Amino acid sequence: MLRYLRLYVFFVRFAFSRAMEFRLDFFFRVLMDICFYATQIAFFDIIFRTTGLLAGWDFDQVLVFLGGFFVVDALHMTVFANNMWWFPIFVNKGDLDYYLVRPVSSLFFLSLRDFAANSFLNLLIALGVLAWALLRYTGEVTIERVLLYLLLIVNGTLLFYILHLCFLIPVFWMHSARGLGEIFFALRRYAERPEKIFTGIVRLTLVTVLPFSLIASVPAEAFFGGIGWTGLLHLTGVTVGAFLVLRLLWARGLRSYSSASS
Amino acid sequence: MTARLFVQVFSIEARKLMSYRGDFWITAVVSFVAQLGVAWFLWDAIYTTSAETEIGGYGFDAMVLYYVLVILVGRLVRAQSLETDIAQDIYDGALSRYLVFPTDYVGFKYAQHLGNIVPSVVQLVLFTGLYALILPLPADVAITPLSIAMACVSVAVANLLFYSLTVPFQLVAFWADNVWSLGVMLRFVTGFLGGMMVPLSLFPEWSQRALEVLPFQYLFYFPVVTALGKVTPQEWMIGVGISLLWWVVVVGLSKLVWRRGMLAYTGVGI
Repeated sequence: MLRYLRLYVFFVRFAFSRAMEFRLDFFFRVLMDICFYATQIAFFDIIFRTTGLLAGWDFDQVLVFLGGFFVVDALHMTVFANNMWWFPIFVNKGDLDYYLVRPVSSLFFLSLRDFAANSFLNLLIALGVLAWALLRYTGEVTIERVLLYLLLIVNGTLLFYILHLCFLIPVFWMHSARGLGEIFFALRRYAERPEKIFTGIVRLTLVTVLPFSLIASVPAEAFFGGIGWTGLLHLTGVTVGAFLVLRLLWARGLRSYSSASS
Repeated sequence: MTARLFVQVFSIEARKLMSYRGDFWITAVVSFVAQLGVAWFLWDAIYTTSAETEIGGYGFDAMVLYYVLVILVGRLVRAQSLETDIAQDIYDGALSRYLVFPTDYVGFKYAQHLGNIVPSVVQLVLFTGLYALILPLPADVAITPLSIAMACVSVAVANLLFYSLTVPFQLVAFWADNVWSLGVMLRFVTGFLGGMMVPLSLFPEWSQRALEVLPFQYLFYFPVVTALGKVTPQEWMIGVGISLLWWVVVVGLSKLVWRRGMLAYTGVGI
């Protein structure tokens, strides 16, 4: 475990020294994410001009949810996104070999090697938006609830990463440019909306098989005091289950990998 | 650039995109259904909570139709797979190859861009056809042959305008090491101000006035409301005129950036 931690510290140090070489990109990334945050908040501002409540949430509650989602997105962009970008390219070009011969877990190496230091500032901005949303929120805010929310946001980030990679792994068999990555980006919109707007089988799917609602929406509900211990157990169970599915898919994918001829 | 070369490049690009047919259609169908599903559930919740039958000039069925069209028109206008193509040529040094071709580089790339929208045209016909078969046409829209013809022209102009808008952003690659973020930023801004996320008739009155003179609404919103029969021929002509005016401005800007960029271009790639 310590060996992995030390390796990760090296990844991060290397990423920061590289990011300092590309300062303009650093600035563009900040601008890009500010645009993302602004358009999402403006979108809900417009929605709330037509209705006082959205699936039981008022605007301030939606802001808390959005702040949480922004933190998940920024964490994903900082820690995992670059690696997710490279993964299908490595498989298709046969460059995965380099990672498979290392004396560490290939899943660890491929998922965490490229730390996006140029997205790190966005994480601070996202945390700022979340803090602002929490300060605006007029309901009960306690240290315990905030800590629980932050913990569930980290869990949401893990789920986000697991889902993203699960949609990319089919590249082992499909040999297309990005596996089912585009479908993932279409489905992630479900994570950007409150879970309670969905009904029936879709809502059930979003908290079980394709748990996009567990990324930020259900954590926000937990913060508002709405899910209880059973909800937390469900969230933990689905995350563990999703990770096991990822491990299984990964092992099967590697078995199908045929190096440069893939 | 000759018309023959333009058609050849267009055709090659269209065939290239369709080479992974299974993958292409799975992605196209699932993405469309997923996108529409989010909009459907969101507006269902809003109409249910607010108890209004009409919001921003749309009943629920018309709102769903708006999203069907705006998603498909968005694909036609954006042709996303080549959004960073020019920047990539600059990074790789591949631009040098094009510079010695006896043809206009940006025109060549536009032919490729157009080739990319062929599958989106098929999707538009297929999905709107399915919609017409499954759901009745909402009473509060007036789709006519004239509105469809005007919308087709608006989409063509919007495609040209969107492509031209991406060019100066991509040309920043002459100086910057990564312009991917700029492209994504452009998508966010044009998507929101262009009516991809929510119809612009729901925006505050002051912003609607401002958007009338900016290029964004002519990318997605204007072609869709034209098709839905919400735009008179006079309003349509003004809208197309404003789009073309913006196109001229953006092309002028691109030429300026291109000239400056060529002075900085070393041709060796990064």
